[in-house]
Amino acid sequence: MINYQYIYNSYNDLPSLIKLSWFVSGLLILVIIFMSIYLKIIRHSIRRKCEINIKFKAEYETSLVSYLYSGDDSGKLTEAQNSIIESLKDSIKIASKRKIIVAVLYDLMNEISGEMSVSIKSFYYNTGLMNYAYDRLDSKKWNVVAKSIGELNRFRIEEASHKIAKYINYPRPEVQREAQLYMVNLFLFEGLTFLDELTTTLSEWAQIQLLETLQKFENQEICDIRPWLKSANDSVVLFALKLAQIYNQFEVKETLMDLLSHTNKDVRLSTINVLTHLYGIEAKDILKANFNNLSIEEQINFFGLLEKLVMPNDEPFIEEQLFHKNFEIQLIALNILKEINIDKYMGLLNLPEKEKSRAMIKSENKL
Amino acid sequence: MNKKKIVLAEDNTTLSLLLKFRLEKEGFDLFMAQDGKEALVLIENNSPDLIITDIMMPFISGLEVISYIRNTLKLETPIIVFSAAGQEEMVLKAFNLGANDFMGKPFSPNELMIRVKRLLKM
Repeated sequence: MINYQYIYNSYNDLPSLIKLSWFVSGLLILVIIFMSIYLKIIRHSIRRKCEINIKFKAEYETSLVSYLYSGDDSGKLTEAQNSIIESLKDSIKIASKRKIIVAVLYDLMNEISGEMSVSIKSFYYNTGLMNYAYDRLDSKKWNVVAKSIGELNRFRIEEASHKIAKYINYPRPEVQREAQLYMVNLFLFEGLTFLDELTTTLSEWAQIQLLETLQKFENQEICDIRPWLKSANDSVVLFALKLAQIYNQFEVKETLMDLLSHTNKDVRLSTINVLTHLYGIEAKDILKANFNNLSIEEQINFFGLLEKLVMPNDEPFIEEQLFHKNFEIQLIALNILKEINIDKYMGLLNLPEKEKSRAMIKSENKL
Repeated sequence: MNKKKIVLAEDNTTLSLLLKFRLEKEGFDLFMAQDGKEALVLIENNSPDLIITDIMMPFISGLEVISYIRNTLKLETPIIVFSAAGQEEMVLKAFNLGANDFMGKPFSPNELMIRVKRLLKM
């Protein structure tokens, strides 16, 4: 039998530091035992929760599939469908179960198209899941708001547009992006009217996503983009320029001419590129007259335009730029000259070495 | 009349269930696998008339399933492949390995039925 009195006496005889060490060790052992038990309980509860969720998911999947196959051609809910909805309404009130239902619907929407996806939408609508997404729109957490807009977008709930329109200028870009994608995904080019109200910057990534969404649809009939080309928001102007190029908006050339004198350099650069794409021959005289006031990047872009739209009467201007301080411009000018007047080009290559530009030396070496 | 047998390999349980309902309603005998490994067991044990497989699956991918069927089992069973957007290269590989048809996700179950019947010459 353990002699506790002896242990106690020995402990009392120990120096204070050793006593403290024993005390701390004992305390740590107790903490470890407590933490181990706590961890075991948590693991058990997580496993149990997981099992319940799997069971519920399986039950719910069967109900959903039954719902989808219980419909008829009338478009109205059948008795069987109504009874499935009623049986699920209680589960939907519980947040964890609701989350599972939405996740399953989400997954299925990604895999199925056609009539079945319309039925999934009607299920989302009729079970009242939509109302929970509406409620989450008022959340103070931006991620909850973004997710709920994404959900309404995925299930194509057009009725939410007036509520989501408020989030176009939301302080968080993630929420803005979801709201913008919702508008375009559901209302196509008409949805782009959010650009009228947009005061925040439309990031490059957001622009790419919007363009990608627009191109998914069969109807590629674009609306009038002129108001956005005149927007006070430079990012909107840049986006409208992309639209002008992708959708070959020849009718906006006049507005594009005005943009050549825009205060934002990026806008001016993109405008020259779009005009090149749209054969904006009218831009040549404006840019030539103002050539020395342009930045190097604009001058290079302009030479890109000239390369595509050059005419014989541009030759004197091209010749003037053969010795431009920028090598890229020298090279493009030389190439253009080669296209329009090969004799003059060959003559230039025969100049004494000292009188040649760097581009001429390079071109000669290539021959 | 003997029911035609189909092995469906798809890791999305809801989609599997949905297709099972539909295919069984059309009179097919369905064997479901949640990954490539299960699919191969079902194929070897049941000699199906048609195989429908997703490309991205746990353990053994759809491509490996096709390769095993064509190169190891030496079976000529028609195979339909499901692929998600952005998996065009995978689809080409699937065809090179011997797949007969493919459907990009999201797809319409009605369209799948037409393709199944066409491959089974029904």
